[in-house]
Amino acid sequence: MKIIKQVGIIFLICWLGLVIEAALPFSFPASIIGMILLFVCLLFGILKIEHIQEKSDFLLSNMAFFFVPAGVSIINYLDLLKSSLLPILVICVASTFITFAVTAWSIRLTMRLMNRRKGS
Amino acid sequence: MKEIFSSPFFGISLSILAFWAGEKLQKKTKLTACSPLLVAIVLIIGVLLLFDIPYEAYNEGGQIINMFLAPATACLAVSIYTRIKLLKKHWLPILVGCTCGSLASMGSIYLMCTLFHLDEKITLSLLSKSVTTPIAVSITERFSGVVPVTVVAVLITGTLGSILAPFFVRLFRVKDPLEAGLAIGACSHAVGTSKALEIGETEGAMSGLAIGICGIITVIFSLFI
Repeated sequence: MKIIKQVGIIFLICWLGLVIEAALPFSFPASIIGMILLFVCLLFGILKIEHIQEKSDFLLSNMAFFFVPAGVSIINYLDLLKSSLLPILVICVASTFITFAVTAWSIRLTMRLMNRRKGS
Repeated sequence: MKEIFSSPFFGISLSILAFWAGEKLQKKTKLTACSPLLVAIVLIIGVLLLFDIPYEAYNEGGQIINMFLAPATACLAVSIYTRIKLLKKHWLPILVGCTCGSLASMGSIYLMCTLFHLDEKITLSLLSKSVTTPIAVSITERFSGVVPVTVVAVLITGTLGSILAPFFVRLFRVKDPLEAGLAIGACSHAVGTSKALEIGETEGAMSGLAIGICGIITVIFSLFI
């Protein structure tokens, strides 16, 4: 029953995410609304980690598996992919490099400014 | 004959079997590039093509597995919540770093896609590829892009980031574990985080935080595209 209850809580949050998505005037992904909703519930103590621990461990630790069917559906787009595989690979390498560099540098700059303010 | 394959049991068992084989293979080869997800996708596509099984039949089971994606995404909240002390203590560098990183990621992808004259559908499917798969997929769905392209691009990016992370840390002379962790998480989400955990505990925790924060920031930016 414990697991069923946890499944119930998380599925309910996902459904509420859909309800809120339908009510919003702009489009915002329902699963992200669910995530924010769960975070707010934890933050304000409406839910305790113990209420969802096992189910959330199960979902988080098996995350990669749940994407198998989504990945397999690439079978329907092989032609589209064939023509642009090389550029996609180049973009993946270059953007990973750029993202790392910009994140690291912006943090370094922020820390330096914070230390300077603290020092003066 | 067709009915046998269109039972959801077929798609689910095939997926679990293929993923399990992928995990075995990774344990044996110890290669980051040999991710169970990638191996499973290749194996299943191979089986479907070899035995001429229609994708729709496999997807009867696939849909049921897909149903777990939204709950799994919601649970990312748990992984942010468990690190809330760290987040409160370093909120400014975390926020600045993740915002700049997400902007740099989306900006550089857009520029390069335009440069390579990629199909608009592919461009829209790549924009979110530096964040964790569930969030990236939600963004692509909003853009009506091609979800499987996003799944594969996110996987390639994560794997690359995880392999290159130690090299990047040396190249950019990163000494602060906070900086290293956030940068790894920002460019290569969950796959990178497992590498960051190997480098150090603070690096791992920061990288884990960057997954959620960069994800939310990227969703917000995508609202304006």
